[in-house]
Amino acid sequence: MAHPYGQQPYGQAPYGAPPQGQYPGQPGYGAPPPAQYVPPPAGQYGAPGGMPGQPGMPGQMPYGGAPIAGPPPGMDPQVYLWFQSVDTDRSGQITAIELQQALVNANWSHFNAETTRLMIGMFDRDFSGTINLQEFAALWNYIQQWKGVFEQTDQNRTGSIEAHELTGAFQRMGYNVSPQFANMVVCKFDTLGRRQLTLDNFIQACVMLKTLTDNFVSRDAQRQGNIRLSYEEFMCLAVANKP
Amino acid sequence: MAYYQQQQGYGQPQAPPPGGVDQGFLWNVFQKVDKDRSGQISTKELGDALSNGSWTPFNPETIRLMIGMFDRDNSGSINFQEFAQLWKYVTDWQNCFRTYDRDNSGSIDKNELKTAMTGFGYRLSDRFYDILVRKFDRQGRGTVAFDDFIQCCVVLQTLTAAFRQHDTDQDGWIQIGYEQFLTLVFNLKS
Repeated sequence: MAHPYGQQPYGQAPYGAPPQGQYPGQPGYGAPPPAQYVPPPAGQYGAPGGMPGQPGMPGQMPYGGAPIAGPPPGMDPQVYLWFQSVDTDRSGQITAIELQQALVNANWSHFNAETTRLMIGMFDRDFSGTINLQEFAALWNYIQQWKGVFEQTDQNRTGSIEAHELTGAFQRMGYNVSPQFANMVVCKFDTLGRRQLTLDNFIQACVMLKTLTDNFVSRDAQRQGNIRLSYEEFMCLAVANKP
Repeated sequence: MAYYQQQQGYGQPQAPPPGGVDQGFLWNVFQKVDKDRSGQISTKELGDALSNGSWTPFNPETIRLMIGMFDRDNSGSINFQEFAQLWKYVTDWQNCFRTYDRDNSGSIDKNELKTAMTGFGYRLSDRFYDILVRKFDRQGRGTVAFDDFIQCCVVLQTLTAAFRQHDTDQDGWIQIGYEQFLTLVFNLKS
């Protein structure tokens, strides 16, 4: 019997893994196709703290206030400074609200609340509900990688992603989903009604697709593209992965 | 195994109990909410008007969800007729919520949530309610506030309806394809 969704149930093996060549590297859990890490230039979107890297901005903190101890060994000093500027109440922990204020899209809008919560959920290793410096460094690196993928996907350089670009991105990431699906994702995730995804929406959609595919595949031992679910399993899966 | 056992296990999710509202009163409310006198209530106007009972702003996701439910003409805003239905819906849920929120704190904990949902006919495990509270607790207090409770009920209703549609032989198990499954969960985005 032919598979209903193309030749292979979910695209090329490995499932949800980045396409060979295009995004080299090994994927981790929920990891984006690793793009090469390039420290972002000044004022680039995705960067925390408004205009990071602008002369005098993050470095200004020591004036009058408590002197900033240097970054811990092995920590990127730039990331350390960003953390300091995001942690506006100097608690040593970043809350969801501080993080949301800090993360911006290409059009300077703040990251949406859901994506911010998603990021905290993924990187808050000690389940404190907040992000410490180490967790922030990992989160920061993760967002930079996604930003790289976003820029490669945004072929016409509009700063946002349209349905046809998303279809291509999903395919390159190895997901065998239809253009109709990508179109639905763009309509659903674009709250402004412009049929375009900003960086935050793009990350949210890709992370959801990855975790849902992982969940699906782990239940599809025969690789048939179909799974059997009880009501309880279905409800747990859907609620746990809902946006 | 905590999976449901009975044939009719996933119950009859109900609308909240009905209550009558005076149209004149509602018209006054509508005019107050419709600040720009456009005859239509926008997402923002509705957000400003709805109270969570705890001085926290009403969850914008819940507002989008409700506008989506009652905006029959897909205008993105709601007229008076649509508003009357929405109002009834919210107040019915509020009354329902109050019966479970025994200390009037404006939020309910996992056990209260489970009692409420079990009362609606859902048969789901403690593990499910752990996930549910974690997902709908936006304050980080292990409880669910009124606005999130509405969203929670709508999500359960939507998912159960979708499950039923796939469960053609009504045995509590479904066979679902990859893209169908993805579409179902992605569609929960409000």
